[in-house]
Amino acid sequence: MIEGLAGFVAWLGASVVVLSDGRRGLALGAALSTLALAAIVFSGAGPVAGIALGVGGLTAAARRLTVGVAGWGIMPPGSTPRFILCVGGGLLALWIALGVTSGHSSALRFAVITVAGLAGARVLSSGESSVLLTSVALLALATAAASGLTEEALAIWPYVGAAAIAAGVGWLPQSAPRAA
Amino acid sequence: MLPEAAELLVLAAAALLFALVFAPAAASRRNLLVQGGTGMVATAAIAVVPTFDLALLTIVGLGVMQAGIPGKRTLAVRLRAPVLAVAVLAFALVFLRVEGPAVLERFAAVGLVAGLAAAVGLFPYIHPFAADEPVAASPIVWIAFVGPVLAAVVLSRAEGLLSVDAGQALAAMLIGLGVINMAWGSIASWLTDDTAAAWRYSFLADWGLVLCGFGLTLSDGRRAALLVLFGIVVGRLPLYLVSREPRAERVTSEGPINLVVAAALAGSAPFVGFAARVLLLRGATQLFWPLALVLALGMLLWLPGSLRLGRSLGRPRGRQAFGVALAVAVNVAAGLYPLPLLAAAKL
Amino acid sequence: MPSAAVLAPVALPLVAAGVIAVFRLAGMSLGRVAAAIGAWGAVAALLAVWIPVRSSLELTLGALGYGSSFDLRIDAVTFAFGLMIATPTAVLLTLQPRTWQEMSISLVGLASALAAIEGGSVVLTALAGATAGTVAIVLLETEDPRAPRPSWATLLVGWLALSWVGVMLQVGGGTAVYSAVPVATVTAPLFGVLAVAALLASNLFPWRTWPADLWSRPSLRAAGITVAILYPLGFYLLVRAYELGDGRYPHPLFHAGLAILGVTAAFAAAARAQAAATRRKFLGEVIPFFGGFALASIAIGTALGLVAGLVLLATAAAMVACLALLPDRAGLAAMVSIAAAVGLPPGLAFGARVIGIEATFEAGDLLGLIGVAAAAAWALLMVGGARAIGLPGGRGHPATETFAGVSMAIAMLTLLAGPAIAAVQTGFANPVATEVMSTSALGGGLITVDTVSSVLPAVTLFAPLLILGVLVYAVAGTSAIRTQSRAALFKLPEGGIWQRARETVRALTVPEQYRSILNIRELEIAAVGGQPLLWLAALAALAFAVTR
Repeated sequence: MIEGLAGFVAWLGASVVVLSDGRRGLALGAALSTLALAAIVFSGAGPVAGIALGVGGLTAAARRLTVGVAGWGIMPPGSTPRFILCVGGGLLALWIALGVTSGHSSALRFAVITVAGLAGARVLSSGESSVLLTSVALLALATAAASGLTEEALAIWPYVGAAAIAAGVGWLPQSAPRAA
Repeated sequence: MLPEAAELLVLAAAALLFALVFAPAAASRRNLLVQGGTGMVATAAIAVVPTFDLALLTIVGLGVMQAGIPGKRTLAVRLRAPVLAVAVLAFALVFLRVEGPAVLERFAAVGLVAGLAAAVGLFPYIHPFAADEPVAASPIVWIAFVGPVLAAVVLSRAEGLLSVDAGQALAAMLIGLGVINMAWGSIASWLTDDTAAAWRYSFLADWGLVLCGFGLTLSDGRRAALLVLFGIVVGRLPLYLVSREPRAERVTSEGPINLVVAAALAGSAPFVGFAARVLLLRGATQLFWPLALVLALGMLLWLPGSLRLGRSLGRPRGRQAFGVALAVAVNVAAGLYPLPLLAAAKL
Repeated sequence: MPSAAVLAPVALPLVAAGVIAVFRLAGMSLGRVAAAIGAWGAVAALLAVWIPVRSSLELTLGALGYGSSFDLRIDAVTFAFGLMIATPTAVLLTLQPRTWQEMSISLVGLASALAAIEGGSVVLTALAGATAGTVAIVLLETEDPRAPRPSWATLLVGWLALSWVGVMLQVGGGTAVYSAVPVATVTAPLFGVLAVAALLASNLFPWRTWPADLWSRPSLRAAGITVAILYPLGFYLLVRAYELGDGRYPHPLFHAGLAILGVTAAFAAAARAQAAATRRKFLGEVIPFFGGFALASIAIGTALGLVAGLVLLATAAAMVACLALLPDRAGLAAMVSIAAAVGLPPGLAFGARVIGIEATFEAGDLLGLIGVAAAAAWALLMVGGARAIGLPGGRGHPATETFAGVSMAIAMLTLLAGPAIAAVQTGFANPVATEVMSTSALGGGLITVDTVSSVLPAVTLFAPLLILGVLVYAVAGTSAIRTQSRAALFKLPEGGIWQRARETVRALTVPEQYRSILNIRELEIAAVGGQPLLWLAALAALAFAVTR
């Protein structure tokens, strides 16, 4: 039940990132997804992994709160295609996680697919650096979470690495492209 | 660490050293050292890390760091390809790890191929290119520096993860994309307006051979792929760096050195490209001889573009002339006697 | 003789090239001495290795990494072709002044060509031959980038095709070593590719190609070297093909087809020669004529034909040096060279052509018609030669490159050597036939050439002819030779058919209504635009493809 809720929250957070242009919205989405992923990883890979992931993601969210376009910017005009993407993507991920695939932790499968997919789609569709870097942070977290799908004994390093990347991207110097 | 990846890492380090010593005067060596060194560390990390997930995370980190280097292209443009690559590769990993219908493994194979192509910048995931962008910020880093190690790591891991059926699908896709990249890269290198873009397409063409080599799934194919990657890192990349003279001094000429360079770029004997082509034809003949015919015909397309690129070197002087001679000499040595290279990679 | 001796013909020119370059970079010029030493050293090494033992000497070191071992061999075939390549090259490098770059590159080309014929396997031959082709292109461009040169593409295609033959032999028969390939591996399709490779390597075609075009360059320094090192290589492959096929080609049609191609090429060369506007243009067709005739003889499939072809090639090699040193002005040197080229009796060319035609008659069936055609082509060349004496010389070449005396001496040597054709056949060509066709040596010894149906008493027939010719010259001198310009026997169609065809193709345009679909620039922009939709579509296409 909790895992199911976590999966839903992961999707919700990723969707908020897709639908937001402002830093508050992005920070909220990042935080929601982080908490959800951390919760799922906590129960699967152990507390250290979950905490590492959580710290990294929340650091990214906190940084996002201070850098970027001011305001929430959730569902600005012209965001209907993104809304459809979120709903459609979520349904597709749900079908894959529950109907097509099997194994332990369907919530993890759903969360990874939905967060990675929506974060990747957001990077492809936006040109705003704060949006891009938030999406990259989420993608890193989802990638690390995916290591929990393997049957082998889980190492801590993917989670730590993802946390470092997520925490660090927000500090990337954003230089403007040089004119010819 | 995979022996192939280790060897390619050493070659990449040599290429970086070449860039530091022979780079045109306009380039800042200090920046090159910092950026190149960081890239080396990240590339080494891709080869060394114990799990594929960590390799993907390294790619993300590398992509983000490279996007932060001042350049002509926007952040969005520079991030798209590495992010798509990681997303697609992550999906591939998910499909490999979960239980489900057999077709999921084939989708995983798609993810691996597409992810590799997107990371390196091959057709149809060609990275946007700005001719005057510093090399460290340009897609050349992916296609000529990080890409070879990445390809070795991804495809060797894929071997262990995929079933026979999915492996065949992977091989078929590699060969298909390889042939397309060969054709696209060589023709575009010949016909495109901009010379720097022509150089970039020539890398694409060589990667076509690499993909075909990996797709042949025979030892000769892997050997061929390694030799072509050697040619990319230690031949084509250094020559490209030398060709990037400041605009005022850039002239085209067709002296003997330009023709020798053209021959090296075209994969003519006695350069390493010819040995690679022989191995590729051998592998293709063993597998399916009409494929060898297609490859042989495709190999002819290198000539016109290579002549153009050879001319674009102008008349190298002083240190750059020495650099060109060194790159050519190393290529000749490897072309005549590639066994040590192959033995070092345990091929 | 230690096996390592086989390295000498390849190593000596390479070392000489290196020494020249190093000394020049250090500020010292070694002139032509080092180049001469390197080239003549290769000749001497071939003689020193072969003559004492007259059997194969082989050096096999370890694997190289692409399915072949480092395997060099000097046998009768290597010896014959090695002399054909190295001797004219040595003469030219000794006499003609060159820049140090040209000398070094020429020596590297010589070494590559010798490595190609010493290579014990098809793959090694392909590697070395392709290197020789590349080096030749570089040499020609170094001398004069604007002058005609071979198409790099056709050279590359030929050697790439040969490398494919090599790998097919490795895959099908386990080896590409000439002496070890199972006969069953040499199938008709494989031989077809090999034949195409050979034809492309030497450009043995009826139309005018680089063996003729190069002679119209302003300077003949690089042209002479290029023809000397590259032209024999295609023939080498066809001779080695006999060894691969245990003495024959896989199908009689190959014998007939290649022989017909050869005689057609010879006839076309003769037709162009008789319509030439200048003497230089006439002389430019001499080597293609020799080559076509030699191809017809070699391809016939008999030992006699092979021997005749080899003697023709040897004569052609001498003529390469002769033509490269010949000045364009009129004079005795030009006349003697033309006489040697057209095959006046009792010269070596005359004897070899007679034997070649004899071989076609003895081959049986309708192959004798090839001999008739060859005779007709020969007659046409003779008419052209008679006309060429009165033609204007040509554009002229730098005087420092031409040596009329030496040129005349070489031509004279081929004429005087006619009576010794039996000895040449016995010592030079017969061992090749024995090696590749596994037949016993042709009979006859040093005085006669024994064919299947008759005997050619070379010494007793040619020697009196020679004496007669000398006497006639002593009495009449050149006063009886009329040098006025004569009309061509027939004019060729206006040249430039290929040029017009190329221009027609270039002028083709896509109809206006389809340009938006086939706009390459737009396609390129779309492909490199980094369009996410395109990327996702490609992903979807791949996913769809794997479900099929």
